[in-house]
Amino acid sequence: MTSLIALSVLTTVFIVLSVMSGVALLVTVYLDYRRSRIDDGIAAFRRHIDALSPESRRSSVTRDSDDGADWRYRK
Amino acid sequence: MARDLAIDLGTANTLVYMKGRGIVLNEPTVIAVNRQSGEVLATGHDAWDMIGRTPSYIVAVRPLRGGAITDFDITERMIRLLLQRVGVSRFTRPKVVICVPSAITEVERRAVTDATRRAGASDAQLIEQPMAAAIGANLPIDEPVGNMVIDIGGGTSETAVISLGGVVALEAVRVGSFDIDEAIKNYVRREHGIAIGERTAEEIKIQIGSAEPGTDDREADIRGRDLVSGLPKTVRLTAEEVRFAIDEPVAAIVMSVKRCLSKAPPELAQDFLSRGMYLVGGGGMLRGLAQRIERETQVPVQMSPQPLEAVVLGAGHCIENYQALRGMFMGARR
Repeated sequence: MTSLIALSVLTTVFIVLSVMSGVALLVTVYLDYRRSRIDDGIAAFRRHIDALSPESRRSSVTRDSDDGADWRYRK
Repeated sequence: MARDLAIDLGTANTLVYMKGRGIVLNEPTVIAVNRQSGEVLATGHDAWDMIGRTPSYIVAVRPLRGGAITDFDITERMIRLLLQRVGVSRFTRPKVVICVPSAITEVERRAVTDATRRAGASDAQLIEQPMAAAIGANLPIDEPVGNMVIDIGGGTSETAVISLGGVVALEAVRVGSFDIDEAIKNYVRREHGIAIGERTAEEIKIQIGSAEPGTDDREADIRGRDLVSGLPKTVRLTAEEVRFAIDEPVAAIVMSVKRCLSKAPPELAQDFLSRGMYLVGGGGMLRGLAQRIERETQVPVQMSPQPLEAVVLGAGHCIENYQALRGMFMGARR
């Protein structure tokens, strides 16, 4: 009888511990996901702004095509 | 594998930018079609030469008016021909970014993307013309300062305030350089009793048209058809007459600039006084227009170094940096 009671107490403790570990794991995963989402937003905005910098634009807005150069002289 | 393309499908001119190559095509947005068979006879410069000079079975038309497609079928065929001319085939389907006026409706937007996809593009994205113009004019739009760009095209005039890579305030009117040509045509018909074509009206605008009185006000002899006798006739037109004739569309453009200025947040508005506004687009090349806007708004106005190419160069930059600048496309923000 005593061993049965001890076993059920141990089982309960294990169940509580497993539930708490599971919840802790879920919270950790959620927080990590949220932080990475914030980081993604910052990184995407940074990429967007960097792509609009004068240095980034220099090559494309001053590009002159060899093949297309003759259009300038057409009437 | 086809190279991706950026197209400035303007009411007046069409420009194509090819990824890694630059501008590969620049010609009038005109198509000549056989009315009986439906065959396309010419596009671009060749079709432009035909305007007003065709026999009855040929029709040379501009398929866009006010930046919007007026004839879906003809526009699709024109885009298909454009893509073919820059090397797109049935097996090579490029991504295409198209510049459109910011004021176009959802239906008009869908018409452009559908026409482009059906013409052979694997993906068609739209970008607002003032945003593309600001990128192409090399304005510091990556900084938290107010940049103001005025894009005057053939059918629309758009003014935008841009800061930190996004549009803060925008104002568009469906008035452009074709309305200025039309005003000249109507004036000559009303005051001198002669009929002139749209090409003659454009030549008058280029020769002696101005938005502000200048020191080199000139005169021009124009030829047309007398409305009473039906015979060819020449009349002399002064710059002052032309200025009077085009005052209404010019005033409408200036008013839209003023409305955009009034929409801008005060923090950015103070930047305009020191940095000025930038004028792009063919319509912006009208003599005295920058001075007129400057006089009426009390804000300095500068002409972009490449007013005709700024829009397609900006869209070209988006195609070069497609992933990083995806958020700028019209569908991405809605």
